Amino acid sequence: MDRRLNSVPTVNFAPARTGRFLRRLLMGWVLACGPFTLAAQELIVNEAAPQQSMSRNEARLCFTMRLPTWENRIPVKVFVLPDDHPVHRQFTKSILGLFPYQLRQVWDRQIFSGTGQAPITVATEQEMIERVATTPGGIGYVGSGANHPQVRVLEVR
Amino acid sequence: MHRLAITLPLILCSLNAYSEESFWDNLQVHGFASQAVIKTSDNRFFGDSPDTSFDFTEIGINASLPVNPQILLAGQLLARRAGDMYDGTPTLDYGLADMTFASSAEQRWGVRLGRIKNSLGIYNETRDVPFTRPGIFLPQVIYYDKVRNLMLSTDGLMFYGESYHDDRGTLSLTLGGGQSVIDDNVAWAFLGNDFGGELEPDGVAGLFRFWYTTPEERLQLGVSGALVSMQFEPGQYSPLSAGTTDLFFWIVSFQYGAEDWTLTAEYAGEPIKWRDYQSPFSPDRDVTAESYYLQGAYRLRPDLQLLLRYEEGYADRNDRDGVQSSAMTGGAIPPFNSFSKIWTAGLRWDIDQHWMVRAEYQRHQGTFILSSKENPDPGQPQADWNLWAVQAVFRF
Repeated sequence: MDRRLNSVPTVNFAPARTGRFLRRLLMGWVLACGPFTLAAQELIVNEAAPQQSMSRNEARLCFTMRLPTWENRIPVKVFVLPDDHPVHRQFTKSILGLFPYQLRQVWDRQIFSGTGQAPITVATEQEMIERVATTPGGIGYVGSGANHPQVRVLEVR
Repeated sequence: MHRLAITLPLILCSLNAYSEESFWDNLQVHGFASQAVIKTSDNRFFGDSPDTSFDFTEIGINASLPVNPQILLAGQLLARRAGDMYDGTPTLDYGLADMTFASSAEQRWGVRLGRIKNSLGIYNETRDVPFTRPGIFLPQVIYYDKVRNLMLSTDGLMFYGESYHDDRGTLSLTLGGGQSVIDDNVAWAFLGNDFGGELEPDGVAGLFRFWYTTPEERLQLGVSGALVSMQFEPGQYSPLSAGTTDLFFWIVSFQYGAEDWTLTAEYAGEPIKWRDYQSPFSPDRDVTAESYYLQGAYRLRPDLQLLLRYEEGYADRNDRDGVQSSAMTGGAIPPFNSFSKIWTAGLRWDIDQHWMVRAEYQRHQGTFILSSKENPDPGQPQADWNLWAVQAVFRF
């Protein structure tokens, strides 16, 4: 909930926008408290990752494939869900502060100009947890509840 | 024998364990294929379009392999059929080693070596990758298809540096040089014919790109450019002498992306110098070409996008209506050959992660963007013409 609030622009210069802001706030509140809870997205890493938290900037660099190694020199391995997966959309917007189409543009530019690689796409959240757990340097995300001894949830500041 | 029976599985196991960590696992292969159908009311564009053309096909396959986290090897083969301009012969689109010297959450810098796509404007680096383009055709007044190779890629060296900041955003700079890749479309575009000789790169072409992006990548502002010199090597019967053509192509770029819409605008200037051809076909002269476009994309749904664009391009900014340059040729080349004003409307549907289809309509005034190789008779083209196109794209 905190994160969702953070992602809403704080400058409101038009009444229409304020209306939209309130609507979104209300919707977020309803969703957060309703039975079909869209829980806060969680950024997960393999237990070998050195840090306990990450800035939003670092998270963006990771998922735009511009941070090749962790502080302990282990290569960063990025896992993502398909572009149209609801968890991918939520994570991209609320944690990274980007729109899914922007991520796709950044990846495509790198893949098709030879200046970078694409993240590894997995089909389900379960597969995401498995892959991050078994890949040193692995990073990914889930909707909630990554219960695996080799996976750690990282706070995004 | 016993020992072998024990050690062999062990060796295989350890090989297997090694291969799980080996760099071949990080090999990535991607590709795409597209086919378009084009119909124009008049004038030939990507083939025999007045009679419906199927001559626009793009097939690409690339591979990338990190040797270690600091070095990435990458290459792409491209087969592109584009009317009379390109016949689909596979070429090396890029082939490079990207070496990162330093990277952190604050900055990254390094060098690229090999055949490198020129990072000009917003679209040039991936201009032949259909789903990275806003429409079937890029704005032709800036991303000319009649003379794409000159701006396409460079065999050389490119330094890059990026600085990341939580609040201020990303600044990036690319500087480099090398030899431009030139083909005979360039001679047709800059000399109006191939004149029985070869137009070749003369010395080193220089490239730069300076780019700013806000932290959440909503706003992008950039300036980029290329400085290219070419020398004409006359053949035995060539009417031209060994002249030179120098040009400086620069683009100012703007893009703002919201959740549902993206607004893009670019302005390009191109001073061109022709020297020493000693021919009435190509006297010594200095001309500055100028072009710009404004483009809006609206996402009705994440998989459905509307496109609207207006663009203008002029062969000579001091002769926008083309009257002077037409007079220079005694009226042989009509005035409307010196400008293009184009409205584009399009619809794109991303069916799934592999397939995309789209349709486009363009209303043209002027024929500046047409290839003289496809329209060799300067008296033939029509000033006002329409274009309809559909394209199917596959990617993996």
